[in-house]
Amino acid sequence: MSDELEPLRRLRPDNVLPDEPGDPTVLSRQKEQLMSLIDDQPDTTIRMPDLYPRLAYADEFAALEYLVRVFGFTELREARMEHEWDGRSQMLAWLRLGTGIVMIGHANHDVHLIYAPGELGHTTVMLNLNVHDIDGHYAHAVAAGADVTMELEDAFYGERRYEATDLEGHRWHFGESHEAIRARGGEVPDDPEGGKPTTH
Amino acid sequence: MDESTDAEVIAASLADAGRFAELFDRHARVIFRYLVRRVGPEADDLLGEVFRVAFERRETYQQCRPDARPWLYGIATRLVARHRRGEARRLKAMARFAAQRFGADDMAERVAASTDAVEDWARVADAATDLPEGERDTLLLYVWEDLSYQEIALALDVPIGTVRSRINRARAHLKGIAPVVEGRMSS
Repeated sequence: MSDELEPLRRLRPDNVLPDEPGDPTVLSRQKEQLMSLIDDQPDTTIRMPDLYPRLAYADEFAALEYLVRVFGFTELREARMEHEWDGRSQMLAWLRLGTGIVMIGHANHDVHLIYAPGELGHTTVMLNLNVHDIDGHYAHAVAAGADVTMELEDAFYGERRYEATDLEGHRWHFGESHEAIRARGGEVPDDPEGGKPTTH
Repeated sequence: MDESTDAEVIAASLADAGRFAELFDRHARVIFRYLVRRVGPEADDLLGEVFRVAFERRETYQQCRPDARPWLYGIATRLVARHRRGEARRLKAMARFAAQRFGADDMAERVAASTDAVEDWARVADAATDLPEGERDTLLLYVWEDLSYQEIALALDVPIGTVRSRINRARAHLKGIAPVVEGRMSS
Protein backbone atom coordinates (compact mmCIF):
# COMPACT_ATOMS: atom_id res chain seq x y z
CA MET A 1 0.00 0.00 0.00
CA SER A 2 1.18 3.50 -0.61
CA ASP A 3 2.00 5.25 2.62
CA GLU A 4 3.52 8.70 2.84
CA LEU A 5 5.12 7.70 6.11
CA GLU A 6 6.93 4.68 4.73
CA PRO A 7 10.14 6.52 3.74
CA LEU A 8 10.51 7.90 7.23
CA ARG A 9 9.82 4.48 8.69
CA ARG A 10 12.70 3.15 6.59
CA LEU A 11 14.93 5.94 7.78
CA ARG A 12 14.79 4.59 11.31
CA PRO A 13 18.46 4.36 12.25
CA ASP A 14 18.47 0.67 13.09
CA ASN A 15 17.05 -0.02 9.63
CA VAL A 16 19.85 1.75 7.82
CA LEU A 17 22.52 0.83 10.35
CA PRO A 18 21.55 -2.69 11.33
CA ASP A 19 24.54 -3.24 13.52
CA GLU A 20 24.42 0.02 15.38
CA PRO A 21 25.53 -0.88 18.86
CA GLY A 22 23.23 -0.47 21.78
CA ASP A 23 26.04 -0.84 24.24
CA PRO A 24 24.80 -3.55 26.62
CA THR A 25 26.87 -2.19 29.48
CA VAL A 26 24.88 1.04 29.33
CA LEU A 27 21.83 -0.60 30.87
CA SER A 28 23.69 -2.06 33.82
CA ARG A 29 25.70 1.11 34.37
CA GLN A 30 22.61 3.34 34.30
CA LYS A 31 20.74 0.96 36.56
CA GLU A 32 23.56 1.10 39.07
CA GLN A 33 23.37 4.89 39.08
CA LEU A 34 19.61 4.76 39.52
CA MET A 35 19.97 2.38 42.44
CA SER A 36 22.48 4.62 44.16
CA LEU A 37 20.10 7.54 43.66
CA ILE A 38 17.30 5.48 45.18
CA ASP A 39 19.44 4.39 48.09
CA ASP A 40 20.29 8.00 48.82
CA GLN A 41 16.65 8.87 49.35
CA PRO A 42 16.53 10.19 52.89
CA ASP A 43 12.88 9.49 53.47
CA THR A 44 10.39 7.95 51.13
CA THR A 45 7.45 7.70 53.45
CA ILE A 46 4.46 9.77 52.59
CA ARG A 47 3.79 12.65 54.87
CA MET A 48 0.21 13.16 55.89
CA PRO A 49 -0.95 16.68 55.11
CA ASP A 50 -1.86 18.62 58.22
CA LEU A 51 -5.41 18.93 56.96
CA TYR A 52 -7.29 16.12 55.28
CA PRO A 53 -10.99 15.32 55.20
CA ARG A 54 -12.68 12.17 56.43
CA LEU A 55 -15.62 11.14 54.29
CA ALA A 56 -18.47 9.00 55.57
CA TYR A 57 -19.94 6.19 53.52
CA ALA A 58 -22.63 3.64 54.21
CA ASP A 59 -20.41 1.09 52.44
CA GLU A 60 -16.82 2.20 52.75
CA PHE A 61 -15.54 -1.01 51.14
CA ALA A 62 -17.48 -0.29 47.95
CA ALA A 63 -16.33 3.33 48.16
CA LEU A 64 -12.71 2.31 48.32
CA GLU A 65 -13.04 0.13 45.25
CA TYR A 66 -14.89 2.88 43.41
CA LEU A 67 -12.51 5.73 44.21
CA VAL A 68 -9.50 3.69 43.12
CA ARG A 69 -11.06 2.34 39.96
CA VAL A 70 -12.97 5.40 38.75
CA PHE A 71 -11.02 8.39 40.03
CA GLY A 72 -7.57 6.86 40.09
CA PHE A 73 -6.83 7.11 43.80
CA THR A 74 -4.11 4.98 45.34
CA GLU A 75 -4.73 3.48 48.73
CA LEU A 76 -1.99 3.83 51.33
CA ARG A 77 -2.29 0.16 52.22
CA GLU A 78 -0.07 0.27 55.26
CA ALA A 79 -2.39 2.83 56.85
CA ARG A 80 -5.61 0.83 56.60
CA MET A 81 -7.42 -0.04 59.84
CA GLU A 82 -10.10 -2.69 60.00
CA HIS A 83 -12.18 -3.43 63.04
CA GLU A 84 -15.46 -4.87 64.25
CA TRP A 85 -18.05 -2.34 65.31
CA ASP A 86 -21.76 -2.75 65.83
CA GLY A 87 -21.46 -6.36 64.75
CA ARG A 88 -20.12 -5.27 61.45
CA SER A 89 -16.68 -5.21 59.92
CA GLN A 90 -15.63 -1.62 59.37
CA MET A 91 -12.66 0.03 57.80
CA LEU A 92 -10.75 3.25 57.74
CA ALA A 93 -8.68 3.78 54.62
CA TRP A 94 -6.43 6.56 53.38
CA LEU A 95 -6.37 7.38 49.71
CA ARG A 96 -3.93 9.51 47.81
CA LEU A 97 -4.15 11.43 44.55
CA GLY A 98 -1.15 13.60 43.77
CA THR A 99 -0.25 15.26 47.04
CA GLY A 100 -3.79 15.11 48.37
CA ILE A 101 -5.01 12.61 50.91
CA VAL A 102 -8.54 11.73 51.86
CA MET A 103 -9.65 9.37 54.60
CA ILE A 104 -12.78 7.29 54.21
CA GLY A 105 -14.75 5.36 56.78
CA HIS A 106 -18.16 4.19 57.81
CA ALA A 107 -20.76 6.83 58.65
CA ASN A 108 -20.40 7.20 62.40
CA HIS A 109 -23.36 8.38 64.41
CA ASP A 110 -22.06 7.62 67.89
CA VAL A 111 -18.67 9.19 68.24
CA HIS A 112 -17.81 11.43 65.32
CA LEU A 113 -21.34 12.33 64.26
CA ILE A 114 -20.69 12.27 60.56
CA TYR A 115 -23.23 11.15 58.01
CA ALA A 116 -23.14 9.79 54.49
CA PRO A 117 -24.82 12.05 51.90
CA GLY A 118 -27.47 9.41 51.29
CA GLU A 119 -28.64 9.74 54.90
CA LEU A 120 -29.04 13.49 54.61
CA GLY A 121 -30.28 13.72 51.07
CA HIS A 122 -27.44 16.05 50.14
CA THR A 123 -23.78 16.71 50.73
CA THR A 124 -22.24 19.74 52.38
CA VAL A 125 -18.74 19.72 50.93
CA MET A 126 -17.04 19.50 47.60
CA LEU A 127 -13.65 17.84 47.25
CA ASN A 128 -11.38 19.78 44.91
CA LEU A 129 -8.47 18.08 43.21
CA ASN A 130 -5.78 19.33 40.90
CA VAL A 131 -4.89 16.62 38.44
CA HIS A 132 -2.19 16.33 35.86
CA ASP A 133 -3.79 15.79 32.43
CA ILE A 134 -7.41 16.57 33.15
CA ASP A 135 -8.42 15.28 29.71
CA GLY A 136 -6.98 11.86 30.44
CA HIS A 137 -8.48 11.82 33.91
CA TYR A 138 -11.90 12.70 32.56
CA ALA A 139 -11.72 10.10 29.78
CA HIS A 140 -10.71 7.43 32.26
CA ALA A 141 -13.43 8.32 34.76
CA VAL A 142 -16.13 8.36 32.10
CA ALA A 143 -14.99 5.03 30.70
CA ALA A 144 -15.09 3.61 34.22
CA GLY A 145 -18.69 4.71 34.65
CA ALA A 146 -18.36 7.97 36.59
CA ASP A 147 -21.55 9.89 37.26
CA VAL A 148 -20.52 13.20 35.72
CA THR A 149 -22.51 16.11 37.09
CA MET A 150 -20.64 18.87 35.27
CA GLU A 151 -19.15 18.16 31.87
CA LEU A 152 -15.52 18.87 31.09
CA GLU A 153 -15.19 22.52 30.15
CA ASP A 154 -12.80 25.46 30.20
CA ALA A 155 -13.86 27.85 32.92
CA PHE A 156 -13.48 31.63 32.62
CA TYR A 157 -11.00 31.79 35.51
CA GLY A 158 -8.49 29.68 33.63
CA GLU A 159 -9.17 26.11 34.58
CA ARG A 160 -10.32 23.04 32.68
CA ARG A 161 -12.60 21.14 35.00
CA TYR A 162 -15.36 18.64 35.49
CA GLU A 163 -17.36 17.40 38.41
CA ALA A 164 -18.65 13.99 39.32
CA THR A 165 -20.69 12.52 42.10
CA ASP A 166 -19.44 9.29 43.57
CA LEU A 167 -21.45 6.19 44.40
CA GLU A 168 -22.88 7.68 47.59
CA GLY A 169 -23.24 11.29 46.56
CA HIS A 170 -19.99 12.94 47.59
CA ARG A 171 -19.15 15.60 45.06
CA TRP A 172 -15.75 15.75 43.43
CA HIS A 173 -14.31 18.59 41.39
CA PHE A 174 -11.35 17.75 39.17
CA GLY A 175 -9.40 20.51 37.48
CA GLU A 176 -6.16 21.51 35.84
CA SER A 177 -5.14 25.14 35.41
CA HIS A 178 -4.71 26.46 31.90
CA GLU A 179 -1.22 27.44 32.94
CA ALA A 180 -0.40 23.83 33.79
CA ILE A 181 -1.99 22.60 30.56
CA ARG A 182 0.15 25.00 28.55
CA ALA A 183 3.24 24.02 30.52
CA ARG A 184 2.78 20.41 29.48
CA GLY A 185 2.40 21.43 25.84
CA GLY A 186 -1.38 21.20 25.77
CA GLU A 187 -3.66 23.73 24.13
CA VAL A 188 -6.23 25.92 25.75
CA PRO A 189 -8.80 28.20 24.14
CA ASP A 190 -7.97 31.90 23.81
CA ASP A 191 -11.45 32.68 24.98
CA PRO A 192 -12.32 30.21 27.73
CA GLU A 193 -15.88 31.41 27.89
CA GLY A 194 -16.21 30.32 24.29
CA GLY A 195 -16.37 26.79 25.57
CA LYS A 196 -14.60 23.96 23.85
CA PRO A 197 -10.87 23.42 23.93
CA THR A 198 -9.16 23.85 20.61
CA THR A 199 -7.40 20.83 19.23
CA HIS A 200 -4.49 22.72 17.75
CA MET B 1 5.30 -9.99 41.57
CA ASP B 2 5.49 -10.13 37.79
CA GLU B 3 1.74 -9.78 37.61
CA SER B 4 1.65 -6.40 39.24
CA THR B 5 1.05 -3.51 36.87
CA ASP B 6 3.52 -0.69 36.42
CA ALA B 7 1.08 1.54 38.30
CA GLU B 8 1.19 -0.83 41.25
CA VAL B 9 4.98 -0.97 41.18
CA ILE B 10 5.16 2.82 41.15
CA ALA B 11 2.64 3.06 43.99
CA ALA B 12 4.66 0.55 45.99
CA SER B 13 7.84 2.52 45.31
CA LEU B 14 6.36 5.46 47.21
CA ALA B 15 6.76 3.53 50.42
CA ASP B 16 9.61 1.31 49.30
CA ALA B 17 11.80 3.20 46.84
CA GLY B 18 13.79 0.13 45.85
CA ARG B 19 10.76 -1.26 44.06
CA PHE B 20 11.34 1.37 41.39
CA ALA B 21 14.15 -0.76 40.01
CA GLU B 22 11.49 -3.10 38.63
CA LEU B 23 10.31 -0.33 36.39
CA PHE B 24 13.81 0.04 35.02
CA ASP B 25 14.06 -3.70 34.38
CA ARG B 26 10.78 -3.69 32.52
CA HIS B 27 11.28 -0.69 30.25
CA ALA B 28 14.88 0.50 30.13
CA ARG B 29 15.78 -1.52 27.05
CA VAL B 30 12.94 -0.14 24.95
CA ILE B 31 13.45 3.43 26.11
CA PHE B 32 17.18 3.15 25.46
CA ARG B 33 16.58 1.95 21.89
CA TYR B 34 14.27 4.91 21.35
CA LEU B 35 16.87 7.34 22.66
CA VAL B 36 19.59 5.81 20.48
CA ARG B 37 17.38 6.19 17.43
CA ARG B 38 16.77 9.83 18.13
CA VAL B 39 20.05 11.14 19.50
CA GLY B 40 22.67 8.44 18.93
CA PRO B 41 25.55 8.21 21.39
CA GLU B 42 24.08 10.86 23.68
CA ALA B 43 21.44 8.28 24.56
CA ASP B 44 23.67 6.71 27.23
CA ASP B 45 23.37 9.59 29.64
CA LEU B 46 19.81 10.42 28.68
CA LEU B 47 18.68 6.95 29.68
CA GLY B 48 19.76 7.51 33.26
CA GLU B 49 18.20 10.95 33.17
CA VAL B 50 14.83 9.54 32.05
CA PHE B 51 14.67 7.19 35.00
CA ARG B 52 15.97 9.77 37.44
CA VAL B 53 13.22 12.18 36.39
CA ALA B 54 10.65 9.37 36.49
CA PHE B 55 11.76 8.38 39.96
CA GLU B 56 11.51 11.91 41.25
CA ARG B 57 8.08 12.40 39.72
CA ARG B 58 6.67 9.02 40.68
CA GLU B 59 4.38 10.64 43.21
CA THR B 60 2.46 12.37 40.43
CA TYR B 61 2.05 9.23 38.34
CA GLN B 62 -1.57 8.71 37.31
CA GLN B 63 -2.53 5.49 39.00
CA CYS B 64 -5.35 4.85 36.57
CA ARG B 65 -2.77 3.97 33.89
CA PRO B 66 -1.51 0.43 34.39
CA ASP B 67 1.20 0.64 31.73
CA ALA B 68 3.93 3.20 32.42
CA ARG B 69 5.65 2.92 29.06
CA PRO B 70 3.88 5.91 27.47
CA TRP B 71 4.79 7.99 30.51
CA LEU B 72 8.46 7.02 30.14
CA TYR B 73 8.35 7.72 26.40
CA GLY B 74 6.97 11.14 27.27
CA ILE B 75 9.79 11.92 29.68
CA ALA B 76 12.35 10.66 27.15
CA THR B 77 10.83 12.79 24.41
CA ARG B 78 11.00 15.95 26.49
CA LEU B 79 14.66 15.27 27.21
CA VAL B 80 15.36 14.67 23.52
CA ALA B 81 14.05 18.18 22.87
CA ARG B 82 17.27 19.51 24.38
CA HIS B 83 19.22 17.70 21.68
CA ARG B 84 17.60 19.16 18.62
CA ARG B 85 20.76 19.97 16.73
CA GLY B 86 22.22 16.53 17.25
CA GLU B 87 19.02 15.03 16.00
CA ALA B 88 19.02 17.02 12.76
CA ARG B 89 22.60 15.99 12.02
CA ARG B 90 21.76 12.42 12.78
CA LEU B 91 18.80 12.37 10.41
CA LYS B 92 20.97 13.75 7.62
CA ALA B 93 23.53 11.04 8.21
CA MET B 94 20.80 8.39 8.17
CA ALA B 95 19.61 9.76 4.83
CA ARG B 96 23.08 9.17 3.33
CA PHE B 97 23.17 5.63 4.63
CA ALA B 98 19.65 5.01 3.40
CA ALA B 99 20.59 6.15 -0.10
CA GLN B 100 23.35 3.55 -0.18
CA ARG B 101 21.36 0.81 1.39
CA PHE B 102 18.06 1.22 -0.41
CA GLY B 103 19.42 2.16 -3.82
CA ALA B 104 18.63 0.18 -6.94
CA ASP B 105 20.07 -3.33 -7.13
CA ASP B 106 21.29 -3.07 -10.66
CA MET B 107 24.64 -1.33 -10.86
CA ALA B 108 23.82 0.76 -13.92
CA GLU B 109 20.52 1.77 -12.47
CA ARG B 110 22.21 2.50 -9.20
CA VAL B 111 24.63 4.89 -10.78
CA ALA B 112 21.79 6.62 -12.59
CA ALA B 113 19.61 6.66 -9.56
CA SER B 114 22.21 7.41 -6.97
CA THR B 115 22.16 11.18 -7.29
CA ASP B 116 18.40 11.19 -7.09
CA ALA B 117 18.39 8.72 -4.23
CA VAL B 118 20.75 10.82 -2.16
CA GLU B 119 18.61 13.88 -2.77
CA ASP B 120 15.36 12.07 -2.14
CA TRP B 121 16.48 10.64 1.15
CA ALA B 122 17.88 14.00 2.18
CA ARG B 123 14.43 15.44 1.49
CA VAL B 124 12.85 12.89 3.80
CA ALA B 125 15.33 13.81 6.52
CA ASP B 126 14.77 17.52 5.94
CA ALA B 127 11.02 17.09 5.97
CA ALA B 128 11.23 15.39 9.36
CA THR B 129 13.66 18.00 10.67
CA ASP B 130 11.48 20.86 9.47
CA LEU B 131 8.39 19.68 11.30
CA PRO B 132 7.45 21.62 14.43
CA GLU B 133 8.71 19.80 17.48
CA GLY B 134 5.35 18.46 18.61
CA GLU B 135 4.62 17.05 15.18
CA ARG B 136 8.02 15.43 14.83
CA ASP B 137 7.75 13.85 18.26
CA THR B 138 4.32 12.53 17.43
CA LEU B 139 5.40 11.24 14.05
CA LEU B 140 8.51 9.45 15.26
CA LEU B 141 6.67 7.83 18.17
CA TYR B 142 4.22 6.58 15.59
CA VAL B 143 6.44 5.36 12.76
CA TRP B 144 9.59 4.40 14.66
CA GLU B 145 8.21 3.23 17.97
CA ASP B 146 4.85 1.86 16.80
CA LEU B 147 2.94 3.54 19.62
CA SER B 148 -0.81 3.81 19.17
CA TYR B 149 -2.51 7.21 18.96
CA GLN B 150 -3.76 6.64 22.49
CA GLU B 151 -0.28 5.88 23.80
CA ILE B 152 1.17 8.92 22.04
CA ALA B 153 -1.57 11.09 23.56
CA LEU B 154 -0.60 9.81 27.00
CA ALA B 155 3.11 10.22 26.34
CA LEU B 156 2.88 13.79 25.06
CA ASP B 157 -0.04 14.88 27.24
CA VAL B 158 -2.17 15.98 24.33
CA PRO B 159 -5.70 15.03 23.34
CA ILE B 160 -5.93 12.10 20.95
CA GLY B 161 -7.47 14.41 18.33
CA THR B 162 -4.24 16.40 18.35
CA VAL B 163 -2.24 13.24 17.69
CA ARG B 164 -4.51 12.43 14.77
CA SER B 165 -4.26 15.88 13.23
CA ARG B 166 -0.49 15.96 13.70
CA ILE B 167 -0.09 12.62 11.90
CA ASN B 168 -2.34 13.86 9.12
CA ARG B 169 -0.34 17.05 8.73
CA ALA B 170 2.88 15.04 8.70
CA ARG B 171 1.45 12.81 5.99
CA ALA B 172 0.64 15.84 3.89
CA HIS B 173 4.10 17.20 4.56
CA LEU B 174 5.79 14.02 3.41
CA LYS B 175 3.53 13.40 0.44
CA GLY B 176 5.33 13.14 -2.85
CA ILE B 177 8.68 12.40 -1.30
CA ALA B 178 9.23 8.84 -2.44
CA PRO B 179 12.84 7.78 -2.63
CA VAL B 180 13.88 5.05 -5.04
CA VAL B 181 13.69 1.79 -3.16
CA GLU B 182 14.48 -1.52 -4.77
CA GLY B 183 14.24 -4.92 -3.17
CA ARG B 184 15.73 -5.94 0.13
CA MET B 185 13.67 -3.81 2.40
CA SER B 186 13.29 -5.35 5.74
CA SER B 187 9.91 -4.95 7.37
